[in-house]
Amino acid sequence: MVRRGTVAADSGEPELLPVGHRIGPWIVGEPIGAGGWATVYAGRRAEQAAADPHEDRLADGLRGQPDQDQPNDPDVHEVALKVMPTAGLAPRQARNVAEAAHRELELGRAAGHPRLVRLLDSLVLSAPDRPSLDGAIVLVTERARCSLRELLASSVTDTECARLVTGICEGLDHMHRSGWVHADLKPENILIGRDGQVRLSDFGFAIELTGTHGWTAPMGTLDYLPPERWREPLGERGIQIRPSADIWALGIIIHEVFAHGAYPFPGATPTARGAAVQEYAEDRAALRMDGTVPEFWRALAADCLAATHAARAPHTAESLLERIRTHATEDGTRCSGPRRPRVRRRLRFAALLVTLGCAAAAAALWAYGGADDDTQAPSHIQVFNAERGCQDRADREPQCSLGLAIDPLRPYTADNVVGTRVWHGDVLDAECQLPQGQPIIDEEDLRSTTWFRVRLPRVGAAAPRPHTAWLPAVRTKDRPSLPHCTAR
Amino acid sequence: MSGIVIHLPEGNGGDATTLRLGPGERVRFGRGSARTPVELRLDDESVSRLAGEIRATDDHWQLSNLSATHGYLVENPEGAGEYLRVPPRRVGAPIPFEFSRVVLPSRRETPLSFQVFAPDHVYLDPHALGGGSWESRTLTAYSLDETATYFLVLVALCEPWLRDSSPVAVPTTPQVVERLSGPGAHAGLTARAVSSHIDYLADEKLASASRRPRTAPNARPAATASARPSSPSP
Repeated sequence: MVRRGTVAADSGEPELLPVGHRIGPWIVGEPIGAGGWATVYAGRRAEQAAADPHEDRLADGLRGQPDQDQPNDPDVHEVALKVMPTAGLAPRQARNVAEAAHRELELGRAAGHPRLVRLLDSLVLSAPDRPSLDGAIVLVTERARCSLRELLASSVTDTECARLVTGICEGLDHMHRSGWVHADLKPENILIGRDGQVRLSDFGFAIELTGTHGWTAPMGTLDYLPPERWREPLGERGIQIRPSADIWALGIIIHEVFAHGAYPFPGATPTARGAAVQEYAEDRAALRMDGTVPEFWRALAADCLAATHAARAPHTAESLLERIRTHATEDGTRCSGPRRPRVRRRLRFAALLVTLGCAAAAAALWAYGGADDDTQAPSHIQVFNAERGCQDRADREPQCSLGLAIDPLRPYTADNVVGTRVWHGDVLDAECQLPQGQPIIDEEDLRSTTWFRVRLPRVGAAAPRPHTAWLPAVRTKDRPSLPHCTAR
Repeated sequence: MSGIVIHLPEGNGGDATTLRLGPGERVRFGRGSARTPVELRLDDESVSRLAGEIRATDDHWQLSNLSATHGYLVENPEGAGEYLRVPPRRVGAPIPFEFSRVVLPSRRETPLSFQVFAPDHVYLDPHALGGGSWESRTLTAYSLDETATYFLVLVALCEPWLRDSSPVAVPTTPQVVERLSGPGAHAGLTARAVSSHIDYLADEKLASASRRPRTAPNARPAATASARPSSPSP
């Protein structure tokens, strides 16, 4: 009988590097985490350690040894050292570890992005006195503040949630665009950087796509596996993996982020929740999301959690990101929205950043609209009627007509509508936009507070009175970059 | 989480039947009648019309004994004589075995029995370094029970490849039987048993619910591989 195993792996407690141990130009600090194949330590660059009085003894021994081949990046002093031991493993297992490290390197080189954790260095650990660690592969990355999982344990505002999900989407969009599937997306692998921004990490299982899919061993984290994974046939090269697997995981994460860490499927254990996912996929149970998830995000998560690959395929990271951005611009009130009272300090700091970011964006918009908006050339927008029966008829049926408001700040009722009607497909000249008028919800539950001031078409020779009226933004699919309307 | 498989061998008061249950699905078993229909029919006088119910739950299954008089026995054929007694009127008794034989009392010489497989049991990676809750761990390997007979059969099948990376030489079923015939706990494994283990690996453990051709030559199964009818609608 073949026995696999080594002393280090079987004893359960992996041997740890002592604080102060030096790996190349890096000094090992406290262990900060352990994953399936690796232990992660806090770390710092050697000169940084030398300047630290607590590291004097060690620094004395190291001073005067110039580091020749280290990457020179003065920004990064605080790093994370991921140590992946290879000693004592069967050749094939050691190869798996090496391949995982190689994938991280490859991805770091080929697809760097502000939303992916930055890989700074990679080395092989030489520690002849510690046989279980000798030859371990060490990946050096920027150090994050915390993981999304840790962040979710505290209270997070909706604004912050939206920003986090946007960040995850941006990272995922970039990975998919670069031809990679993350394959193990979960809150533990989504880090929050020192700047409060999202960093996707842990690309040890990331798969480079060949065409529309890649191949992998059947792996993943139970709670984030798409339902089709359980019936995916095993081929010679493993099982197929497609970007839609990441999208499923994203759907779970969106729900977790907005529902304070609650999982969208019921059950006390991952196996119970996995069974609930199967029941949902076989159409024996409905998807019941937490009521605290705001409407827009619930719809987004529901699309990510479509039960089959085919139904999920249209919802790419790119299209989701597009929807999020549209939502963010339409719903400008978010940034100044009420914040929950008890927010931890670091969160408050992060939220402040968001507020600043939003303020900057708003300032840019106002600057754009600084000139007299009447002199601005109008943009054409096409009227859209969400009523499907009205979309393909050209007979100007009164039932299918849409009204234009006189005043977008008053309720959109019959006495607040101009005499001129418009129909689906009409092209209007829009002069400017008002981001915060009366909220309007259309027949398909799209909500927007944005209104466009449009010029009324001439009827016969006479110029219409008044000249302009207001079209709610839900009545068009166009999003021209118009200046904000000034008061008239 | 693809559910459980119930197999009623021939000669237990009916034809051989195989049922597949997804999580949350259930089947009733018993003698059945026009008023009490059952999905798994055990045509024997000593069995109640509605004798019990099996429900796939999470990664295991539950047995409800709906008889007022008879206790049932659930044996683990791979264990060292492990068994559970499910007394009359007990509802939803969780069954922890991956392989189970449910034994019902009968007046015949051999008791009535059927088998239930629960291939969804989850095993953690053999070489995980630990740390954190197991619930959030990434699993990179198939969930296999290294103490089960099927694992031994798998190792025997892969032996040439494990020894010298030869993907060509896959042992035949007789060779596997020969290889495992030495002294030990698994002495006396028949070709038929080896075939059904290979079947179980191919159909349930390594490629959930896929019906791909089997890898080993001569591994045409005898026992469990009759065409599988689709699962019943509960």
